Amino acid sequence: MATVTLKGLTKTFGDAAAVDRLDLDIGDGEFVSLLGPSGCGKTTTLRLLAGFLQPDGGEIRVDEKLVSSPTVLIPPERRQMSMIFQSYAVWPHMTVFQNVAYGLKLKKLAGGEIAKKVERMLRLVRLDTLAGRYPGELSGGQQQRVALARALVVEPQTLLLDEPLSNLDANLREEMRFEIRRLHEEFRITTVYVTHDQAEAMVTSDRIAVMHQGRIVQLGAPEEIFDRPKTRFVAEFIGKTNILRGKLEDSRSVALGDGLKLGVTSAGAHARGNDVYVCIRPHNVTLTASAAEAEEARRNGMNLFSGIIRRRVYFGDANDYIVELPEQRLNLRVLAPPAHKYEPGQKIFALAHPEQCVLVGEE
Amino acid sequence: MRFDPTLPVWIGAALFVVLLMLLPLGSIFISSLYDEKGLTLGNYLQVFTDNAYLKAIWNSVIISFWVGVIAVAVGSLLGWLVTRTDLPFKRAVRALVMASFVTPPFLGAFAWMLLAGPNAGLLNNWYRAASGSDTALFNIFTIEGLIFVMALYSFPYVFSMIANVCELISSDLEDAANILGANRWKIALTITLPLTAPALISGFIVAFLHSLSLFGAPAILGLPAGIHTITTQIWAFFQYPPRLDLAAAFSVPLLLATVGLIAVQKKLLGRRGYSTVGGKGAQKRLLKLGYLRIPALLLVIAILSLSVFLPYGILLKAALSKAWAMPLTLDNLTLGNFSFTFFEYSDTRAAIVNTFKLGILTATAGTLLATLLAYITNRQLLRGARYVSFFVLAPLVIPGIVLAVGLFIAYSRPPLALYGTIWILFVAYLTKELPIGYSQTESTFKTIHPELEDATRIIGANRLRALKDVTVPLARSGLIAAWSFIFIGVIRELSASILLFTPQSKVISVVIFDLKEEGQIGAIAVLGLLLLAVSFAIILSVQWLAGREFFAGSRG
Repeated sequence: MATVTLKGLTKTFGDAAAVDRLDLDIGDGEFVSLLGPSGCGKTTTLRLLAGFLQPDGGEIRVDEKLVSSPTVLIPPERRQMSMIFQSYAVWPHMTVFQNVAYGLKLKKLAGGEIAKKVERMLRLVRLDTLAGRYPGELSGGQQQRVALARALVVEPQTLLLDEPLSNLDANLREEMRFEIRRLHEEFRITTVYVTHDQAEAMVTSDRIAVMHQGRIVQLGAPEEIFDRPKTRFVAEFIGKTNILRGKLEDSRSVALGDGLKLGVTSAGAHARGNDVYVCIRPHNVTLTASAAEAEEARRNGMNLFSGIIRRRVYFGDANDYIVELPEQRLNLRVLAPPAHKYEPGQKIFALAHPEQCVLVGEE
Repeated sequence: MRFDPTLPVWIGAALFVVLLMLLPLGSIFISSLYDEKGLTLGNYLQVFTDNAYLKAIWNSVIISFWVGVIAVAVGSLLGWLVTRTDLPFKRAVRALVMASFVTPPFLGAFAWMLLAGPNAGLLNNWYRAASGSDTALFNIFTIEGLIFVMALYSFPYVFSMIANVCELISSDLEDAANILGANRWKIALTITLPLTAPALISGFIVAFLHSLSLFGAPAILGLPAGIHTITTQIWAFFQYPPRLDLAAAFSVPLLLATVGLIAVQKKLLGRRGYSTVGGKGAQKRLLKLGYLRIPALLLVIAILSLSVFLPYGILLKAALSKAWAMPLTLDNLTLGNFSFTFFEYSDTRAAIVNTFKLGILTATAGTLLATLLAYITNRQLLRGARYVSFFVLAPLVIPGIVLAVGLFIAYSRPPLALYGTIWILFVAYLTKELPIGYSQTESTFKTIHPELEDATRIIGANRLRALKDVTVPLARSGLIAAWSFIFIGVIRELSASILLFTPQSKVISVVIFDLKEEGQIGAIAVLGLLLLAVSFAIILSVQWLAGREFFAGSRG
């Protein structure tokens, strides 16, 4: 196991900085996801970690030992790491068994020990019956598990995963997410996981680092990232959200247009009088048709909007509404349990708790 | 089920192809087993006990082996350089390798005769002038000379195989070993080499088979020195008095060797295959050659001078000069060779007409047939469609001269007395070029989703109509490519033509062979340049067309 520290890490390609003064501390046995849209620098960060790329600035330390800097580069083969590639990179000329055994052979383990370890690992990823097959004869999911077994069997200090699930179909992808988390709980290897899929990051990670334009814009536990996004980018990238624009009155309230004041909660400091954004998750809004009930809630400190149902889509486990707020000239997206049903055209009151109306920065 | 009115078309095409292949091959086996007295093994006995004949076989094996070795060394080096390193001018290098590929080997052999013949060869003249010595530096009329020239025109096969594989192997495969603890050498030894090994071995086999089946080069460079190979020996059996039975018996081992080696090649790939395993995101890094960049480029240029620049240069010089071995001064400059070849000499004029007539006929009929057949096998229209593709591809493993022996025997007597007309050449070319046309159309059809046709049929078009209105227009550039490949294959064909021509049905390649005996160097050079110019014009227009279609995004 190992701790991994990235300090001021920078990598430029031509004029563009793919990774820009990035700082990150990863604890021993921790599972951290680098989450972001394509081109945000997450894969470059991973390849810097692996030692396939040399940074132009900053440094990487593993267990306090310097492994990468503009002047130092420990080659990948001496880093005690494993990596799972987006393309799996399963060697087509070796059987499943040979693929998994390869890393152990490099470590010069005895044949009997190799066989034992490989067989145990193949059972773990449920490939023991396919040990003699060539990769060309396996499905995508099976190949992915070969890559996983090959990376884990060497008991690496650090495990790097580069979008390992992006080539799988939806069902398998969901299954493999839990599989990866389960294996992590079993081995507790320090893991860095690159993905653009927020659900994957949520399921697998201890902490998520949301990346944008080569930098980490927010780092935190999954709930923290989801419930308390710091910026509009994070709020919109992770999950569905309503973004309302207003002026900051004081640290607890925001004026939307037409006299409506919104009680909010804030993660960071924002200057009074500035334009700000408020993030409200669709499932944190409740609807009611009763004016009395709405007034009651408002007096208890809830934020109250009045509007008209414009559209309803039934999803089985929920109804997805669009509520028009005519006074603010806004649309509010609301995800409500299917028990109550409101029809388009109906007048409606929408309620949101100030704790769940989060002030976010522009960037 | 209702009778499908298009069914006879499919069955007809399939049967035609099966017959096209079975008739010549069957004829060879049957006549190899008969003499005037009846059934016998005497032909085989005679062929395989006579020392002269055994020597020819041995020569073929030795020459082909070394051609294979050299072709693999040169082809894989070049293939690797253009795909995995930062070698400059890669596109130009690829284009020039393509030019070596398009150059008919007999033309290359002829050019090298002018360059490195011991008496008048240009390089030897230069050497004598520079050193004052009166001996020759090179003698191309030797086994070594033959190996050299044949390797020059076999390495492009290995090149394209290696380049393809190198493009399929992503850097990820090497990185994966790297991060598990393998250093550079270990990666090369355990990952890169094993991944390319099947292609290297297949490349060797293809180059070996290619040189085994060549007739022109050994005839031009070997026969003057009394060196016989299997193909020239088969040709010799056809000279007066013709011994068809011996030719047939001599063809059988060549055929079996070819089939055997192809089987080995298939087996080697086995279950592994390098079809890209896994998914997207695989990337390739280019190796930085550093200070080796310029030396590598110079080496590549040197190799390409041997296969392209020097031969093309000497052909151009010979075409433009009155006396080809003299310096190209104003006195020596002439267009006479062109007017002689195109307008004055009846043999060359007739041959040009015949060649292009046959080229157009065969390419058109071949594309049509290949389209039907590829359609049948691709859409599984008939039970046993797989076997149809086996028959269509069979000529790939039949050396041209062996095919000609079979065709000669099959079509020289009633009811199919085609010999003496250009139609026997047509049948020979059609048979020989069908695999190329078929592979091209097959891969084109693979990219066209059957649902596009289904959408036509559901609104009332039958299969043939759907093929005509939807599939063929979509496959247009693929079909044009198929037509062009067949056409180029036909106009350069020598090894089958040399047995099947008659004085009324000579083609360019045969006339080049004849003119050599007459010493008409200028006319040969003109004809050679004509072949090259037409081939390149066609290839460039196909590329232009394909590029345009690609940008238009018409492939969905």
